[in-house]
Amino acid sequence: MEQNIFTQLENTPVAIWVGESLWGYPLLLSLHVVGLAIVVGIFSMRDMRLLGLFSGLQPVAFIALSKLAWVGFIINGITGFLLFTSQAATFVNSTPFLIKISCITAGMVLAGVIQSRLRGELADSNGDVKISKATQLIALLSLSLWMSAIIAGRLIAYIF
Amino acid sequence: MLESFALSIVDGPLNIWIVSTYWLWPVLEIIHFTGLSLLLGGLIIIDLRIVGHFRTLSPVVTHKFLPAVLVGFGLNFITGVLFFYGDPLRYAVNIGFQIKMLLVVLAGLNALLYYWKINPLVHSWNSNTESPRIAKFVGYTSLSLWTAVLLCGRLIPYVGTG
Repeated sequence: MEQNIFTQLENTPVAIWVGESLWGYPLLLSLHVVGLAIVVGIFSMRDMRLLGLFSGLQPVAFIALSKLAWVGFIINGITGFLLFTSQAATFVNSTPFLIKISCITAGMVLAGVIQSRLRGELADSNGDVKISKATQLIALLSLSLWMSAIIAGRLIAYIF
Repeated sequence: MLESFALSIVDGPLNIWIVSTYWLWPVLEIIHFTGLSLLLGGLIIIDLRIVGHFRTLSPVVTHKFLPAVLVGFGLNFITGVLFFYGDPLRYAVNIGFQIKMLLVVLAGLNALLYYWKINPLVHSWNSNTESPRIAKFVGYTSLSLWTAVLLCGRLIPYVGTG
C-alpha cells in the first residue's frame, strides 16, 4: 500500500521530468548543496558560538541570521522533495535517507527551541548574555544532528 | 598542463591508495561537505555584515568567524587534492572542475581585496556607517563566487569535457 503511493509519485509528470530530463536532477542537486551550505553553515556557526567559540559576537545576531537559514531550508525542502519524487520508492526504503530526514527534523525542532531560549536569555539580561548550560547542551546536540544529516545524506549514494 | 600533470600522477602511490581504499571516497565527500558548510557559514556572516546588513553587529566581531572559513577551506583543499589524485584524468578534462577552480582562484583574489582594503576600514564602522562601494562589491562578489563554486562542484559528475 505504502509502496503504491511512492510508486505513483514516481510516475507523476514532475517526477519523470526530474528523473529523465537532461538537467533536472543535476540542477536540483546543485541548488540542494547551496541550501545545505546556508542551513548547516548558519546553524553550525550558531551552535559553535553558543558553545563558546567566536566569542564577541552577540548571540542575538543569530535570531536574525536564523531567518536566512530558513530560506536555505525552504530551498532544500523544495529541491529535496523534487529529487525524492524521482526515486520515491527507493528513497523511502533507504536507511541513510530515513536517518537523514530524522536528523533534519530534529535539527529544525532544536533550531526553534534555541531561538526561543535565545530570546528568553536575552530578555533576562542587558546585552552581556550568559549562555546557560542547558542551551549549550542543546547546541551540541544540534551540531551533532547537522553533522549526522550530512554523513547520512552522503551515504544514501553508497548504502542501499 | 592540467592533463599532463594528471597523466603523471596516474598509478602513482597516492592514486593507487585512494582508488584501492574502498571506504575512503565517501569519507572524503563527507569531510568536503562539512568543510563547505563551515566555509559558507562563516562567509555569510562576514560578507552580509560588510555589505551593510546586521548593522547592529560590529564588523570587527563578525570578522572573528574567519577561522571557520579558513578551516573549511583547508579541509576542502586537502580533500579536493585527494579527489583529484584519486581520479585525475576525469577531473583534469572536466569543464565543471575547470570552471570551479577558476572561480576558487577569483574568490581567493577577492579575499585578498577584503584583507587589504576592507578589513583595515571596518574598525571605525558603527551601526550608522554606510558600507562603502568597495565593501559591497567585495561582499557580494564573495557570496556569488562561492555559490557558483558550489554549483559547479556539484555538476562535475554530470558535465563532460565541454
